[in-house]
Amino acid sequence: MTAPRFDELIHPGTRLSIVALLASADWAEFAFLRDQLDLSDSALSKQLSTLEEAGYVIIERPVREHRRRVRARLTEVGRSAFQGHVAALQQIVGSSEMERITA
Amino acid sequence: MQTPITPQEARAALDTIDRDRRRVIDEIDLPRWYWWGLALGWIALGLITDLKHPWLTAAATLVFGAVHASVAPRVASGRHRTHQLSVRQDLTGRHTARLVIGCVASLAVVTIAAALAASADGARHPVTIASVLVAVIIVLGGPQLLAWVRRRAAQASAS
Repeated sequence: MTAPRFDELIHPGTRLSIVALLASADWAEFAFLRDQLDLSDSALSKQLSTLEEAGYVIIERPVREHRRRVRARLTEVGRSAFQGHVAALQQIVGSSEMERITA
Repeated sequence: MQTPITPQEARAALDTIDRDRRRVIDEIDLPRWYWWGLALGWIALGLITDLKHPWLTAAATLVFGAVHASVAPRVASGRHRTHQLSVRQDLTGRHTARLVIGCVASLAVVTIAAALAASADGARHPVTIASVLVAVIIVLGGPQLLAWVRRRAAQASAS
């Protein structure tokens, strides 16, 4: 059971989606994230840099078919922060529903 | 406790997370070429068997098995439909590869049964007929099998 911890860095919409996609994957290529989230290259780079600086994401550059690819992977710290954030969101929703039932 | 966002905003964020998880679940699949390659290989094996040269049949079966054994471990998990993403194993379930390989193995039994039936009915090329039937099952049924895996993953994710 993950302890609820609201994460201000993850919560903004685009970063939340990036981390949610990466949480379900071992890794995802830059192009996959860009296409799924309909972002420009620069917008996605900026958000990934923010997550990388926080230690939530690792950017890898493997070579495949003679081309260098860019792919992102959630770190254990990032995964733990995401799970804590989801737990915090669930707690907020759950508390609200409890208040509504007992009102 | 003072919460940084409203319950409505929290609900919207959870919906976003669920939508993004489903986007990854939608990527659980095997490459199309796997099903088509398997189907064509199956028909080729049927044709060779109907030539009634036991050594040729044995050699073709070995080659078919070796090629499949080299390819299947990389793709049969359903986690690498494309080179753009590797789906986490806890999303696909641990047994997807076994399910795929098990279904392929059971189709060998179906092929033998269908070939025996065709032979009893006097067909000149019973194994070819049976392998074409099974090839159609592979091409049509393979993607359906993975669609079922995706539905199961979505249900597990929602619970």
